[in-house]
This record gives sequence, structure tokens and C-alpha cells, in this order.
Amino acid sequence: MINRVLRGVDQLSKSVGHAFAWCILILTLGTSYEVFVRYVLNNPTSWAFDMSYMLYGALFIMAGAYTLSRNGHVRGDVIFRLWPPRVQGSIELVLYFLFFFPGVVSLMVAGWGYAADAYRIQEVSVNSPIGVPVWPLKMLIPVAGFLLTLQGVAEVMRCILCIRDGSWPQRLHDVEEIESALQHQQEDEARQRRGEPAEGAK
Amino acid sequence: MTDPQAALLMLGMFIFIILLGFPIAFTLMAMGVAFGYYAYFQPDQAFFDNRVFYLFTQNTFSVMNNDTLVAVPLFLFMGYVIERANILDRLFHSLQVALRVVPGSMAVAALITCALFATATGIVGAVVTLMGLLALPAMLKAGYDQRLSTGVICAGGTLGILIPPSIMLIVYGATSAVSVVKLYAAAILPGFLLAGLYMVYVVTRVAINPSLAPKLPKEQTDIPWTRVVVMLLQAFFPLAVLIVSVLGAILFGLATPTEAAAVGAMGGLALAAAYRALTWIRLREAVYLTARTSAMVCYLFVGSWTFSSVFSYLGGEALVKDFVLGLDLDTVTFLILSQVIIFLLGWPLEWSEIIIIFVPIFLPLLPHFGVDPMFFGILVAMNLQTSFLTPPMAMSAYYLKGVAPPFVQLWTIFRGCLPFLSMVFLTMVLMYVFPQIVTWLPDLFYGN
Amino acid sequence: GKKEEPAKSGAAPAAAPAVAVKPSTVTFKMQGAWGAKDIFNEMAEEYVKRVNEMAEGRLRIDYLTAGAVVKPFEVMDAVNKGVLDAGHHVPVYWYGKSKVASLFGSGPINGCDAQQTLAWIYRGGGFDLYNELLKKLELDVVGYFCMPMPTQPLGWFKKPVTSAADMVGLKYRTVGLAADLMQEMGLKVTQLPGGEIVPAMERGVIDAFEFNNPTSDMRFGAQDVAKNYMMGSFHQAMEFFEIIFNRKKHDALPKDLQAILRYGAEAASASNWWTAMDNYSRDLDELANVHKVNVIRTPKSIFEAQLKAWDVVSKRLSDEDPFFKKVVESQRAWSKRVARYWFINDADFKLGYEHIHGKLGF
Ligand code: NA
Ligand code: NA
Repeated sequence: MINRVLRGVDQLSKSVGHAFAWCILILTLGTSYEVFVRYVLNNPTSWAFDMSYMLYGALFIMAGAYTLSRNGHVRGDVIFRLWPPRVQGSIELVLYFLFFFPGVVSLMVAGWGYAADAYRIQEVSVNSPIGVPVWPLKMLIPVAGFLLTLQGVAEVMRCILCIRDGSWPQRLHDVEEIESALQHQQEDEARQRRGEPAEGAK
Repeated sequence: MTDPQAALLMLGMFIFIILLGFPIAFTLMAMGVAFGYYAYFQPDQAFFDNRVFYLFTQNTFSVMNNDTLVAVPLFLFMGYVIERANILDRLFHSLQVALRVVPGSMAVAALITCALFATATGIVGAVVTLMGLLALPAMLKAGYDQRLSTGVICAGGTLGILIPPSIMLIVYGATSAVSVVKLYAAAILPGFLLAGLYMVYVVTRVAINPSLAPKLPKEQTDIPWTRVVVMLLQAFFPLAVLIVSVLGAILFGLATPTEAAAVGAMGGLALAAAYRALTWIRLREAVYLTARTSAMVCYLFVGSWTFSSVFSYLGGEALVKDFVLGLDLDTVTFLILSQVIIFLLGWPLEWSEIIIIFVPIFLPLLPHFGVDPMFFGILVAMNLQTSFLTPPMAMSAYYLKGVAPPFVQLWTIFRGCLPFLSMVFLTMVLMYVFPQIVTWLPDLFYGN
Repeated sequence: GKKEEPAKSGAAPAAAPAVAVKPSTVTFKMQGAWGAKDIFNEMAEEYVKRVNEMAEGRLRIDYLTAGAVVKPFEVMDAVNKGVLDAGHHVPVYWYGKSKVASLFGSGPINGCDAQQTLAWIYRGGGFDLYNELLKKLELDVVGYFCMPMPTQPLGWFKKPVTSAADMVGLKYRTVGLAADLMQEMGLKVTQLPGGEIVPAMERGVIDAFEFNNPTSDMRFGAQDVAKNYMMGSFHQAMEFFEIIFNRKKHDALPKDLQAILRYGAEAASASNWWTAMDNYSRDLDELANVHKVNVIRTPKSIFEAQLKAWDVVSKRLSDEDPFFKKVVESQRAWSKRVARYWFINDADFKLGYEHIHGKLGF
């Protein structure tokens, strides 16, 4: 049961993160188009500026939960990594309640009011005369807060599983940075040389 | 408790809690919200009516529509695409052959490969790891000294965060409101100076003590010059041209950093296609990794801006300012003190946390000491080279250790990094004594 | 008819009872929208100083520069929600909420300058319309206006422009309704972050830009990238600062302190203007003499072209929004009387100047 919920939340965060990740491709193409029409045709668009920060903002805010599900938010874990998994799990469990939920829950609740205000007055961007509405971007704040809260619940479950089993449960398989992919590969090969079974991505 | 005392408590608690290892972005958010709740507390108010929640949301949106940070995901994307373009081994091989007459040719080639690749991608971990798999075994097999080989890779790979186009300088620009374009112009000479010093060091040491890097056997280097030129044309020049054109477009004002980053990403895609490495899977990987790393950096901004808003609302900023000004330091002492603090922070922390969270504490003090924030930024960027090389969080050394042959000790890698660390300090002293190293190019491009 | 001042704080601080207990100091956090070096911070501090001295011991405003708590464009939201108690900025910064906001400082030309438009706000019904707008947008703030800004220069150009036709196709950087106006005139309006203007100007991302006044422009480094400073323009010819307070905080103050906040704005308005006259003129001289900037009076044909473009912009926005139309018409009714009086009566000061100092040459 706990595993199914965990996997479901991970999957949701991952899907949303992957979907919004493609903003980068639109951002690349759109900005390159702006460069082309500005320099070659001497006719800049009136939308490129608003488009650029909207795609960027959507991209990172909606990837927050996904990044959390991959343990990708930066930590100062010099001491943390020295502890046995059970201690890590217990400390992390407490810290989630102290230092995670207060922030992301307020993002969800207050973000809703913030976005609703913008929607009510149909607020537009101040950057260009064409009046691009800003409420869709603001609306992503409570959505991101909600996804983060959900992912936080999943992380809490992970802590509980870790305390119960004495080791961190596996995360969903996903793309890895070259350095970690290669290091895992090296570890697996070393294990194989020693005749132990290979372990999947952590 | 007075408000400024609360602000001090906030800062002290944060430094303690950061060491517990919880994701820093969320720690900052939660502490900002908690102390802000105290700062804005009114007894007659319902729980969610407290103003701090609104402040938090506003700061989140300020990060989301920050026009400087737009360049971050674009440069990351360019980096991830190039990283996956199967270029590194060709690059290293071609440089190694081209430099065969130089003493310690492999080490010099590794250094240039690292610097160039790290500059193009801005991703330190990847280049150190890949070079650890590719160049390190080759160097060790050729009888190169372990410390020299590992030091070159760690220090060379770290250069990418300094030499423009660098994401670290964009982040500093977003933090300090200094023009990213000027920061890029200012970082070029110090970056090349450091890389040059590294190279001079390697060549000199090998010239003095040839046993550190034995000459390669004749059959390995006996390649006709025409072949060498073709190899360089295929591997070295496309990447160099891409970097130079992205940087040139920014420096000559043909494009804003954001636009240049987008065009650079297009160039990266073209390069990958030319090397027949642009597969659907690789593109997807680059896209997803861009999202994750962008989220990592930008959530740190969300947390930090919320934290620092509350910190200055409580009067913490003014308190720190009064305290430092009360010490009656002269400019040199202030600069040394601030750089020592940043160096020490670099032991346990990485550049992103230091620039986004701690550098803003120094920024309001700069006018009082007559320090140009651009100059300060380049000093900090130079200084943060060390954060990758100093234990306990010596990320470059760890990446390398993770893939190095088992007989290479972590301790050996640390000792290999030491001479390079001292050259970072030397460069910082040179920058202080001859500030033109920093200011000459920005003055030339944008000065009077 | 004699029109009284807008009836907000109707009851004067008439018979405040002699205070027996020493009251504790109320602190207001005010944030400006101005970068650290901008002279506008000094102007904001002039207001703060007046209030703090008059309300000594009972009310103190702590002034913070831009970004200390929120970013410049977030000041209105922050004060509305009480994140800040007060803010010092211009209405064009929140015109994303309604283009009508821009009319309280940067709108279509009708013959009034900034001083007379400020008079419209305080004596001509502008204040009621402003409060109507705040109410419409559910912005819970009390706002005062001060410092009628001198006309903002057309800006910095690589080559002097001699006619409106010269400007067509130029990549130009501005903000607010001025962007609508310049776009209408055929310029390619480009938005750039403040910090990137100077480097972008140097080699062609933009051909020209405007900022605000000789002092702000010089401190910002405009003279490093362009040597032609076109003075005079209709794009932002009647702007002033907007000083806003969170309404709950404001209304909780005793009436006499409210009066200090209000009349402090009037006092700062004069003081700011004196500061502007002294600094702007001195820095214009420095730009010309030290930095060898070519200071040029904008030709009349450009003013005419701007008026035509304003017609189009203001008609379009009036058709879209009846409230926009209502405010524009109120301003027009005011200008018809006030500006006419001014022109028929105003001495020819330029003649006097030339009599003493010699020909100006424009
Ligand atoms: Na370190
Ligand atoms: Na202006």
C-alpha cells in the first residue's frame, strides 16, 4: 500500500516535471527566432521578452516536485552522509515537518489567493504593450505548492520505510547526470568483479 | 527579543541547520516563513492572514519573472546537449597528438580539454568524471605521476564555472544586479590567467622533473601533421568556435546573454547532429536534466529571497552593516576578511549556496569600502574555484575518485589539487594588485 | 467655485486631548522602488525625514531601498497586503493591473504639465478617480502624490534624430504607456532589464533608450554608450511619485499622524522639486562639459508626431475601457481651463533668460 502511494506520487511528479521540461525547447526555438527577426529582418517581436520569462518560470517551478523526487535539491550533507540510514531517516522525517511542509503548504494556500487576485483583475504584463496576461504563470505557484506537498508526503513515507527497513527504498528509474550514471556503472562493474550481483540505480 | 536580535538568531540557526543536511532551498523557505510569521505577527489575526505568506508568494513570483535567470536553463541545456555529443574523447585525443612535443603533453592536453569542455558545458561533474574514465587511465598507463594527473583533471574541470559563458556569473548577476555582460567581460582575463598559470605550472614541473610525465612511445605519437590538423578541425575547432561565437555575441552587444544562450543551445544541437549524436533519447535526457538542475538553482533563489526579505525586514541587514562598519576596517582588510569567509564556506558548501545565500550579506557593505561589485564578483568567482577542491565537500575530487582506478587514493587527489589551489590564491593576489586584469576588458568594451 | 481639498481626512486633528501618557513609537516600514544609487532615494528620504521629524517619538518611517523586501514592481501588491506598510514608487509600475494607472503620471498630453496635472489630482477630481481605481482593483491602500517631475527627455541616441521619420524602426527601450506610444510611432520597442541597457546599447541590441532625468541617467552610465541626449518629449511629460500606505495601518493612526503623512507629501513635493532643479541642471552641464554629450532640444515635428500617436493610443484604450475614457475626459476638462489660464498669463521666461544670458539657440 505505502509502496503504491509512493510510486504513484513519484510518477505524478515525474510526469509533470517531464512535461514542463520541454519548455526549454520552446524557449530555445522562440528566443532564437527573436534573434533572427531582430538582427536579420530588423523587426523584433513584441512577445519574445514575456515569452522568455514565462517559459523559464513555468519550467523551473513545475520541476520542483520532480527534482525533489530525484533527491536533486542541493543539501549541505557533509555530516548527514556519515550517519547510518536509520538515523538519516529519523532526522529527515522530523526535518520534513519542521522545514518542508510550512513552506510548501503556504506556497499552495497563499499562492492561490495571489493568482486569484491576478485573475480577477485580468492583470497583464507591464513589459510590453500587447498585454500578455500574467495570471496563468501565477496560477502555477499554488499548483507547484500542491505537487511539492504531495511529494513531501511521499518523502515522509520514504523516511518511514527507511527507518523500518534500515535502508533507503529505491527511487523510480529516470535519467541520471553523466557523473552519477558512470559512477554507478563503475560500482556495478567492481561488484561484478567481486562476484556480487549488480545493484540498480539508487 | 528585539527584531534585529531575531534576525541574528535566524542567521545563526540557519548555519546550524544547513549542516543537518536537509535540502537548503526548503530550509530557507521554512525559516523565512517562520521568522516572517513572528515579524508580521498580530494577535488579532487569523493564522493564514499573516502577511508573511503573501511575501513568500511574491518572492516566488519575483524569481519566476526574473529576466536575468532566464539564461540559466538555456545555458544548462546547451551544456547537457554538448555533453552528450560524443565529443570529449575526440577532443582529448586530437589535443594530445597536437601537443605531443610539449613536456607533459598528455597533462596539458587534459587541462585544455577540461577547460574547454567545462567552459562549453558549465557542468563540472560531467567533465571530471568523463576525463577520469578517459584521460586518467591513459596518463597513469603512460607512467604519469598520480598527483599531477588527478590535480590537472580536477582543477581543469573546475575552470568551467569561471570562464564565460558561465552560469555562476549569471547567478551572481541576478544576486547583485551587476550586468552579466560586464561580468563576462571582466572574467575572461582572470580565467585565462588562471588557466595559463595551471599550464605553466604543469610544463615547468615536468621540464624540471621529467619522470613525472615520461615521453610517450614513438609509435603512439607518430602521426602526420595533416592528420593532426584534420583531427583538430573535427574536434577542437567546432567547440571552440561555438564558445567564441556565443561569448562574442554577448560581449559585442549583438545579443543579450539570454539570446546568446538560446543561440548557443541551437549551436549545441547542430554540433550534436553533426557528430551523429543527436538521438531522441539523448535530447530527452538533456531536456529532463535541464529541468532538474534549473529547479535546483531557482528554488534556492526562492528560498534565499524569502529568507533575506524577512532578514532585512527584521533589521538584520542594517545590524550586520552597522557591526562591520563599527569594526572600522580598511578596504584591504575587508576584502581579505570577506574572501577568507567565502573560502571557508567553500569547504562544506558549493558555489550556488554561497552566491545565492551568503554573498548578499556582503553586497550592501561594498559601497562603504569603495569596492566595485563587479570586481568583488570576479574575486568571489575566482575564490569559489577552491570550493570544488577543498575537503570535506571537494566535489571535483569525489567525482574523480568515483571513477578512478581503485589504487588512486582520495588523499592523493587532494594533494594533487594543492598546487592548483595555491595558484588560485596567486591569481587573486594578482587581481588585487593589478585590478586592470579585471577591469580592462569591461572598460574597453563598455567604458568611457 | 471654490473646490475644497479631497475629503479623505475630513476631520482636522482639532481638539486632541492633552496627552498624559507617553505614547509608544509606531514604526512603518517603507520600501522604495529605486536602485541604490538613484537620486530618487534621496527624494524618498526627504519625505521620510519630514514625517519623522514632525512625528518625533510617535511615528517613525524606516526606509528601505529597492529589493530589500520585494522587487520594485511588487511594491503595490506588498503594501496592499501589508507585507510593507508603505511604498515610494510611480503608478506606471503597477499599470499591469490596469492601464488607467498610467494616467496618474504618464498619459496622453492635453496641455497641462506635471505641476498642473498634480493640481488636477488634488483640486480637479483626480484624487476621487484614483480612489475609484483603487477600489475597482480592490487595492487597500491610501496614496499621496508628490514631486511633479520635469519632462522626461526623449532619451539617448547614437545619432541625433531630426524628425519623427528618423525614429521609425529604431530599437528603443522604454516602459509603461510610453511603450504603446513609441510603438505607435513606428519604433521597435524593446524591453530590457535596467542593468543590461548600457552594454546592449554599445553595439546594437538597442539604438536608443530613455530613462528619467540627467541625474538618474548620468549615475546610470548613459553617457558611456551614447553621446546624443534629446531633451524634451511627450512620452512621460507629467509624472510624479506615488507614496502609498497600507490602509489598515494608515487608518489606525491618530488623525494628527495621518495628517503628518498627508501634508508631509505636500512638503516633500516642494523639497523634491528644489532638489531636482539643483541636481538635474548641474548634471546636465556635467554631461555636456565633462562627458562631451551633445545635448539637443527635441525638434517640434517629433512633438507633433507624438501628439498624433497619443490620439491613436488614447482612443484605442478609451474604446476598450470606459473608465480610461472617463479619466482622460476629466483631465481634458481640467486642462482646458487651467492650461489656458497658464498660457495666457505666463510670462515669456525664455525671453527673459535670453535677455540676460544670451541666445539659447533653440
Ligand atoms: Na569544498
Ligand atoms: Na522614463
